Amino acid sequence: MQASLLSLIRPLAAVWTLVLLLGLVALTPPVHAASGASLPTYFYPVLQIPRIDVQGYGSVTLSLVLEDAASQRFAIASAVPASAGLAPGGTFTLQSGLLKIPTVRSGTAFYALTLQLLPGDKFQVVSATDVVLPGQTAYAQQCASCHGADGLGGAVGVTLKNCANCGTLAGLTAKIAGTMPLGNPAACTGTCASETASYILSVFNGTSAAGSGKALAAIEMLPLDATLRAASLQLVSRLPSTSEQALVAAQGEAGLRTVLDGMMTEPAFYNRLSEIFNDWLLTNRYLSTNGSEAAIQLMRRYPTARWYDPGASSRGTDYVFNRDTTNDSVAREPLELINYVVRNNKPMTEILTANYAMLNGFSARSYGVDTSVFTNVSDPNEFRPVKLSGTPHAGILSSLMFLNRYPTSATNRNRARSRVVYDLFLDVDILALDGARPDGTAVDISSTAPTLENADCVKCHSLLDPIASSFKNWNLAGSFVKPRTWYTDMFQAGFNGTAFPVTSSEEPLQWLTARIVQDARFDSAIVRLLYTGMTGQEPLDAPGANATPAETEAYLAESAHLDEIQAKYVAANRTLKTLVKEIVLSPYWRADGLSDPAQGVVHAATGAARLLTPEMLHRKLNALFGFEWRGTLNSYSSNVKLLSTARLLDRRQYFGQIYGGIDSFTITERLSDPNGLMVFVQERMANEMACYAVPNDFLAPKSQRRLFAGVEKTTQLATTQDRDAVKATIVHLHKYLLGESLALNDPEITATYQLFEAVLVEGRKRVGVSELTTLPALCQRNNDMLTGASLSSGGVDGRLRDDPQYVIRAWMAVVAYLLADYRFLYA
Amino acid sequence: MERRHFLRMLTGIGMAGVLPMSLVRPALGATPSRFVITVSASGGWDPTALIDPKGNALRADGMGPVNKYPASLIKTAGKLRYAAYADGVTPPSTDSAGHLDTFFAKHYSRLRVINGVDTQTNGHETGQRFVWSGRLEEGYPSLAALAAAPYASQPMAFISNGGYDFTASLVAPVRTAAAATFSAMAYPNSQYPTDPAQRSSGFFSTPTHAAVQAARAQRLTRLRVSEALPERVAQMAKLETVRKSGVSLDGLLAYLPATVSAGLKGQAEIAVAAFASGLAVSASLNLGGFDTHDDHDEDQAAALTALLDGVDHLWKQIELRGLQNKVTIIIGSDFGRTPFYNTADGKDHWNITSVMAMGAGITGNTLIGATNANFEALKLSASTLEPHSSGIVLTPKHIHRALRDFLKVPAELDALFPIPVEKLALFA
Repeated sequence: MQASLLSLIRPLAAVWTLVLLLGLVALTPPVHAASGASLPTYFYPVLQIPRIDVQGYGSVTLSLVLEDAASQRFAIASAVPASAGLAPGGTFTLQSGLLKIPTVRSGTAFYALTLQLLPGDKFQVVSATDVVLPGQTAYAQQCASCHGADGLGGAVGVTLKNCANCGTLAGLTAKIAGTMPLGNPAACTGTCASETASYILSVFNGTSAAGSGKALAAIEMLPLDATLRAASLQLVSRLPSTSEQALVAAQGEAGLRTVLDGMMTEPAFYNRLSEIFNDWLLTNRYLSTNGSEAAIQLMRRYPTARWYDPGASSRGTDYVFNRDTTNDSVAREPLELINYVVRNNKPMTEILTANYAMLNGFSARSYGVDTSVFTNVSDPNEFRPVKLSGTPHAGILSSLMFLNRYPTSATNRNRARSRVVYDLFLDVDILALDGARPDGTAVDISSTAPTLENADCVKCHSLLDPIASSFKNWNLAGSFVKPRTWYTDMFQAGFNGTAFPVTSSEEPLQWLTARIVQDARFDSAIVRLLYTGMTGQEPLDAPGANATPAETEAYLAESAHLDEIQAKYVAANRTLKTLVKEIVLSPYWRADGLSDPAQGVVHAATGAARLLTPEMLHRKLNALFGFEWRGTLNSYSSNVKLLSTARLLDRRQYFGQIYGGIDSFTITERLSDPNGLMVFVQERMANEMACYAVPNDFLAPKSQRRLFAGVEKTTQLATTQDRDAVKATIVHLHKYLLGESLALNDPEITATYQLFEAVLVEGRKRVGVSELTTLPALCQRNNDMLTGASLSSGGVDGRLRDDPQYVIRAWMAVVAYLLADYRFLYA
Repeated sequence: MERRHFLRMLTGIGMAGVLPMSLVRPALGATPSRFVITVSASGGWDPTALIDPKGNALRADGMGPVNKYPASLIKTAGKLRYAAYADGVTPPSTDSAGHLDTFFAKHYSRLRVINGVDTQTNGHETGQRFVWSGRLEEGYPSLAALAAAPYASQPMAFISNGGYDFTASLVAPVRTAAAATFSAMAYPNSQYPTDPAQRSSGFFSTPTHAAVQAARAQRLTRLRVSEALPERVAQMAKLETVRKSGVSLDGLLAYLPATVSAGLKGQAEIAVAAFASGLAVSASLNLGGFDTHDDHDEDQAAALTALLDGVDHLWKQIELRGLQNKVTIIIGSDFGRTPFYNTADGKDHWNITSVMAMGAGITGNTLIGATNANFEALKLSASTLEPHSSGIVLTPKHIHRALRDFLKVPAELDALFPIPVEKLALFA
């Protein structure tokens, strides 16, 4: 019977060996061995061993499910090749058939288990003894009351998973030795501190993959073709091509990955990427929509900042264009850096370590640098890396936009910048540390430097100030100024317990960013940023001491899955494209249902369903109809060339702000739920777009129609053939507009057909009585929408004005019905 | 940025009537007894240039004066003391409601001022959060959102104009824009919404429009009933709830001026029109320009003029609609500014600030709290609210604790976001 297990292990081991040979993964040393993701766990009824080494074969991740509690017998649930970066958690010896697991976590207890392989691929526990890990006792006695026995946030709600000091063992040890437990740090120093730190890192900074597996298994995922459509609309604002659909149909997930790789070369993808990262960075606050020279005003020290202005009396017709384009080129610099890194498959670490800025011909002239590097100095999209003289670049952090968006002052001393660095790039909410800030009455600030001397203050400032001080040579205006006097009454530049060497010739900010990107929390932060951007959902917060089992299970499942995604991203040299693909293929992004209704509580927030942002809805309309929702659509051909002209959804002066968009300035949080005004926007959009799109589609030759290739504007319901054609068209509309694949006899198709029929029949009765034979005035097509050319020329009247049988209006009703549908307005 | 919290999400689902937020919501159609407006002077105002004046006496520590006007020019209006314009600053015309003298002469009897409030921070984001939610850390709804929560089913219950408008999913914030867009939204089936003469000309005839709307509603219900993912069920339920609210924006248009003003005045006009038409319960108004790290006196004076002018306009709108006894206004800022000047004649961030209140239920011509000559908060006796060396330092926690009691925030809501601090009679 051992052969049965071997038959399971053998082919997987072969696959794994092949991967090793290709050099795609490295077994030792583990990427983040201290993360604890390798720790075997028992989460009833699943025993999960992330990595077992099988003598002579390789390593597998093994899941065993309890089959019989009385005899402690387990069955094999799954065995797959172990992920890169995992440390061995057990051994299986072929000769004896013994599976030995030195440490298994079960809740807050630990055991050493030995299981015997039995006939029928079963494992039975033959010994189980308590294990006390180094640091476990000290943790239970001195830490658990605040942080919880499981480390996920106890009475004060401060989780120790990905905690602010969890970057390195040395850093956490120093933190414990110096400040913990609160009020009595002398109680745990030396070995106690290092062992407790090790315990926290190895036990709490892993997750229960077993619980994760159970929860994830309950998610029913979108089929691949629907996943492709959703990804295409979100990432590149278009429908997938026929060849892309064919590739996915033929090659499954591999095909989808190939298609996504292709999509991530398109300009539209980088627009979307900028949108996602701007939601965090908010540097678009300096776009000309917030003031024509909002970014240029930050460049007072550059003599040529306003190179485009020859003086009020000499301005030419290109003045406004050059001014706005230059301003926006300067404003886009940090987001273009991210685009450059992603486009060129560089590791995301470079967004903080790049020793250059991204400029185009317009912004280069403002910065006063040589423009010969540009092929076309007038191409606003030709961004290239440029080293600015006298500027020790540190990626985004040294950009004029970042430094001004998060300014400082003599009293703030870069602490706001430090907080943002923690939040965005280390996945740490510094304000959540150590519970509430002590009230003024409780804090003794009488000493000269309370942030150095008062334990209440030191708790946070020992973390906050070393990063703040690393910005010391960057002033309020975002300029590099050196030498610059810096405060001595605060923690000096450093990171994770290591001080910036005073003898170093490096710039402190560059020294800092080089260390941040080596910290596992930087990887977590990038995963979090992208996951949130793509799903519209923040990862779940740590559940805390009063969490229900469902809360804990939901958190652990999602957390484990994100850890897995993160490991793949790290293994792929931290290329963001890898992360995009992993998220698209993840059950959280593809969630479409639950196989087990009992899991509903755990999956209360699962899924990437989101109200489309106004920008996304704007692009979706364009992708489906070939024209945007603008005001007014009658003038589409003339105003479509103007970026600023009445784009109703993505401009704040129209519906952009009302529909939940941001201006990155005063409005910085998107609305995720509709309100009383937004539903009116939805209805107006649906009505107006239907009015234009339906007659417009009927004007096109049948072969070029997007909506009505199967019917004519005179097709009614008189014959079976006509009725079938109408139903087939409705099936097509549900698929094309909503992404629903429905059968002809589906109740939803019937419902839509009944709407068409009711409007047609009743409307026809009113024609000539209370309604005209013509279309509503704005819905009539007298000119080509895109070119503006008259449809009545050369003696041929190609206009579409009449609708005597009410057919066009009935189809308008159907399209308006579908455009305000949940499945159209939400992704 | 706050990660999602499971409990809060469940609360959010509850907003749509699926879970127990109905416990704290009055029956549909209940009329709020009070409207709330918060006015945020975004960027950090300088109370010493407004309602906590110090004068130009040199500080003992050699850091210069707090203000650049002599203490002899500090003025009073009733029990309130207010600042003079600094040397070199050109004041607005006294005809302007934004002039300090004009504003305080007109409104001092309505104003309740609380000085010496310690925000415990000098970071903008943190300060705004603390001042408007009562909690330094993330996660608590703004006061305006909390006030609107029991009436979350109203279509525009909470109007936000930016700033700190976190709602904790208690209510959907509404953001507004230009007046023309209201017409487009008020008449979503009209081809010519801004032209009253042609407004009735629709994309669809009335019967067809009604058929489409009915079909949409039925479809949404079908989708919700058959959906398996709780998140989608919640989203559909919310959409259904909002669509079924049956709101008409006609009333709002009737109360809006023909041309809505720009800036703070426009925000005030829309908020009061929404109150008068029964669509909204609370609004957060927002005005920038207070972050005066350079040329403080000139720029701060300009921002304060715009603020006071806007507040005066807000009060006029309230009077115009006869809502003086129903609207309570709270005015505040991220924090204060340093009691000394930097090298650019600017003032940086300082953790001490003031809060002003006026309107329904507020006893005016009242001053609470104090700061010393260096603009540091003085401790107050919790019982008398007078300075007392062994008393307490006021923080936004105290302000919000008192405001919640004053506004009668339902106990269930209060318990969801507790503020464990002593109760002070700041607004009683």
